[in-house]
Amino acid sequence: MDSPLVLVIAAPLAVALLNLFLPIALRKAMTVIGIILGGVLVRGFFGAPPPSVALFGTTALSLDDLSFFSLAFIHIIGLIIFLFCLKGLDPGTERTFLVLYPLTLACANGTVLSSHGVGFLVFWGLSGLALYGFALLGQGESASATAKKTFILVGGSDVFLIMGLALAAMSSGWSLFDARIPLAGPAEALAFVFLLIAAFAKAGGFPLHTWVPDFSRDAPVESAAFLPASLDKLLGIYLLARMMGGYFEVGLFTRMIVVTLGALTVIVAVMMAMVQHNGRRLLGYHAVSQVGYMIMGVASGHALAFAGGLFHLLNNVLYKSNLFLALGSAEKRAGSHDLDELGGLAKAMPATFAMALVGALSISGLPPFNGFFSKWMIYQGLLEQAGGLAPAYAVWLLVCLIMAVFGSALTLASFMKFLHAVFLGRRPERFEGLREAPANQWLATGLLALLCVVFGLFAQAVPLRLFVFPAAREAGFEAFTYPGFYRPNLILTLFVIGFLAGLAVYLLTAKTRRDGAYIGGHVPSEAFRVTGTDFYKEITEMRPLATLYRQAENKAFDVYDLGSKATFGLSHLLQRAHAGQLQVYVLFILFGVLLFMILAG
Amino acid sequence: MITPYFVIIPLAAAFLIPLVSKRKTGPAVLLSLASTFALVVLSGYAFFGRSGETLVYRMSGWKLPVGINLVQDAFSSFMLVMVSLIALTSLVFSPRYIDRLGGDAKYYSLFMVLVAGMNGVVVTGDLFNLFVFMEIAILAALALVAYGGRAHEFEAAFKYAVMASVSASLILIGIAVAYSATSSLGLATISRGLERQSPILVLWVGGLFMAGFGLKTAAMPFHAWLPDAHSSAPAPISAMLSGVLIKALGVYVLIRFFYNVLGAPPLFLQIFLVLGAVSIILGVLLAIGQWDIKRLLAYHSISQIGYILLAMGLDTTLGMIGAVYHMLNHAVFKSLLFYNAGALETALGTRDLREMGNVSKLLPVTSGTSLIASLSISGVPPFNGFFSKLVIIIAAVQAGQPLFAFVAVVGSLLTLASFLKVQKFGLRGGRPVERLIGEVDGGMKTAMILLAALCLVTSLLIVPGIRETTIDPVVKVIMEKTGHAQIVLEK
Repeated sequence: MDSPLVLVIAAPLAVALLNLFLPIALRKAMTVIGIILGGVLVRGFFGAPPPSVALFGTTALSLDDLSFFSLAFIHIIGLIIFLFCLKGLDPGTERTFLVLYPLTLACANGTVLSSHGVGFLVFWGLSGLALYGFALLGQGESASATAKKTFILVGGSDVFLIMGLALAAMSSGWSLFDARIPLAGPAEALAFVFLLIAAFAKAGGFPLHTWVPDFSRDAPVESAAFLPASLDKLLGIYLLARMMGGYFEVGLFTRMIVVTLGALTVIVAVMMAMVQHNGRRLLGYHAVSQVGYMIMGVASGHALAFAGGLFHLLNNVLYKSNLFLALGSAEKRAGSHDLDELGGLAKAMPATFAMALVGALSISGLPPFNGFFSKWMIYQGLLEQAGGLAPAYAVWLLVCLIMAVFGSALTLASFMKFLHAVFLGRRPERFEGLREAPANQWLATGLLALLCVVFGLFAQAVPLRLFVFPAAREAGFEAFTYPGFYRPNLILTLFVIGFLAGLAVYLLTAKTRRDGAYIGGHVPSEAFRVTGTDFYKEITEMRPLATLYRQAENKAFDVYDLGSKATFGLSHLLQRAHAGQLQVYVLFILFGVLLFMILAG
Repeated sequence: MITPYFVIIPLAAAFLIPLVSKRKTGPAVLLSLASTFALVVLSGYAFFGRSGETLVYRMSGWKLPVGINLVQDAFSSFMLVMVSLIALTSLVFSPRYIDRLGGDAKYYSLFMVLVAGMNGVVVTGDLFNLFVFMEIAILAALALVAYGGRAHEFEAAFKYAVMASVSASLILIGIAVAYSATSSLGLATISRGLERQSPILVLWVGGLFMAGFGLKTAAMPFHAWLPDAHSSAPAPISAMLSGVLIKALGVYVLIRFFYNVLGAPPLFLQIFLVLGAVSIILGVLLAIGQWDIKRLLAYHSISQIGYILLAMGLDTTLGMIGAVYHMLNHAVFKSLLFYNAGALETALGTRDLREMGNVSKLLPVTSGTSLIASLSISGVPPFNGFFSKLVIIIAAVQAGQPLFAFVAVVGSLLTLASFLKVQKFGLRGGRPVERLIGEVDGGMKTAMILLAALCLVTSLLIVPGIRETTIDPVVKVIMEKTGHAQIVLEK
């Protein structure tokens, strides 16, 4: 019981319990201490995994390279996001927030360390419960509906996980590591589907993603960066990686289905993101869209793509939490996360803007930032995969690939809109005198931005060598030596040369005039401000898309709404039979008795 | 011998209460609290102290088959603990709530009769005594359902009375058939006697009992009385009815009869499975559409009983562990939910979820405990409901019944959805409630906090070391099947 693995879970748990009673400043201090203590322990695991922990005669906790990969980033991201939380949390919900935060960390640690199915289930469910806790902190009209929806989708998928693991345990026992279950019979196939449901609901894969944008809008912004953007991705993709790398023996057709779901996730979510008017919802849809790449990479079965998928997970965690936090900083100053109301904040908050710019360029997949590197690995892996397949499969895979590439372009487009609407454009008058975010906030986003750059430039030397490749090897993907043809240094050099050349041309031919806005002689008032939210309004009016968008707005594609409609329909039907008439009820009984008599012969 | 005291204490209290308290309810409350507390201690001693034994108490000098006996084994003790615990919290919850209804000492008297009836059913070893105790409990329950004295409460009580008499007739016919075949009324001797009878006769007795006690259990399609009765009763009584009455009179007798007397015939296990599955799904579907919080809870009782029936039908040790464990857990969280509903009704004056709002600031104890109870019934870790559902689903998969496991999964998902609805509208809705019309007093709070703590504590029963001393002996008694009769006869 004194194993360091237990301590990694117990320390934040103890902090959470203590935080129930401490004053706020101490709560923060305890949380920092807890995370750092955990970080030190995890650092000690590097290269020297501690012994497994046995409980009730079975291995309960153990650490391999794949869990180490997740564990390390849970701590890194947990610390950075908490740096942001040190100042500026909503005072109304701060107390509960500071209990939930370490609790969530403890559950996440427990999830990735559990090698026994039941322990995994408990921690997985607990982390879903923590998510509900954060959702309940949300304010605004729709917050309670969002909390309900979030937990029905995420918490509801847990029972499927129970069933999936129970089915899988029939053929291989409860160990999650290296079970190698062939998808032969219906039981195993069903287990695979149920586990996939759980992983998709947690990570936000299509079609179980619909809680992510809502949660992002209504919950505290720090928790949006912490859970749907970071930890839930780490956990969901962790489960998917386990499934695809060792827990099941997955055939090509199944892999293709999952890859297709990934491609759909990319495209569906990014299309929705383009037309959002709410900054947080926009980021939420992108959080979904990025999962698509990870799913494609991890599910493809190609070693390079698998590593790319894992790497993309890390990158997404970095830039997506960066973007959420940067928007959070802006929102805390400007008092709104509505893109129609924001604008021109770059001048007031230059540091925040710079960090958000790095995040936006990274997520859009621009070299030399990290997002490009991982997408490149995924694309190259998928292309190589397609090369070795039968023509029909190859075409199928290529279609998915094209969807993903197209999604990447739309991501860029969408972030142009985001940057413009929040930071650029003309500043509304009420934002005069706005100050930069507190230092802890831009330090947090800055650290994330820095990591985005480092992971882009030194991908090979730092993240891939230390975390990603060992994790991929653990999952049985060893057969690669190079991460693709891409060399970030070369690209950076070319970029620098191009930039310098442009600068030279500008300086040599500089003849520019600066002027105020001219609007046909009108005084440039608020009504003439271009907010940027309508950049892509055209696509919502295009022929086939118009209907789709309209229906999506009416939630015609939301599994949650479809499910609740079906449930309530059935419920009403049944209620008709229960109108309170005694005769009918006695008839029920008669029916039952007769049935028994017939059965009894 | 402690066994008879489980009936004597509550019955004596029931008759003493009208004597000691003429107008004021104070002495009645004290007396009933003292006697239920004594029952908790006694049953705790019986369960933990003498768990492995089967105690047989002869009411007269004669042995079976002539005399009448009381039998107390781990399973009965387990039920007694459950009944006493819930009764105690229910009484703690009651005083102010019942005062508000214009209550008098009769309430406590009836309450103790109800407890006496349930305890009697659980400890008796005689089929006809069981019938009598059952009728005693039902009569008390009928009066208590109508206790509020409003028209719809009388209507509910009337419906309940009709359904209860239907079930009583079915059971009585069943007893008559069994008696005519075996010339005996002791459960152990009937078990012996029926072994020599034709299978058709066993099927008929089983069918009649299945329908009769199925009505008491409120399994579909015998469920229709439950939503009216349980939602019209005062909240602490709803908690007793939903929490323990349907289990003591329904599930307990079904298990006792079909496992320990008939030896778990496969046909009836199949029926348990199907009834369970149907109850889970239809119950929860009916529940999710309700807006009256107590009706919603009542329909959930049907659904949760479905889980127990389903687990009973698996005929495996793990399945029975799930059934017994879920029975206890359901008693805890469903009673708590009814207390929450009672507290909300007291504070807001309504049972309609649509008229409620955000009370998490005004009623922290009620909303906190209600969240715990909702998460427990929905099967969210680390609360007790998660573990019993986990066991039931795993047991169903391992018993080769993945379809029934899937039913349990879907039921659990819908349960979660429906309790998040309760949370969203009833306690954490958008519109904050400005002002409360009634006060949630210390007694109510104590009862709720006690059960909320139990929601967490009973999770520990899943831990192997603890399970071996609590649930395992109970399951051992049940899985002995007809071997149990032998043990009773030898005593």
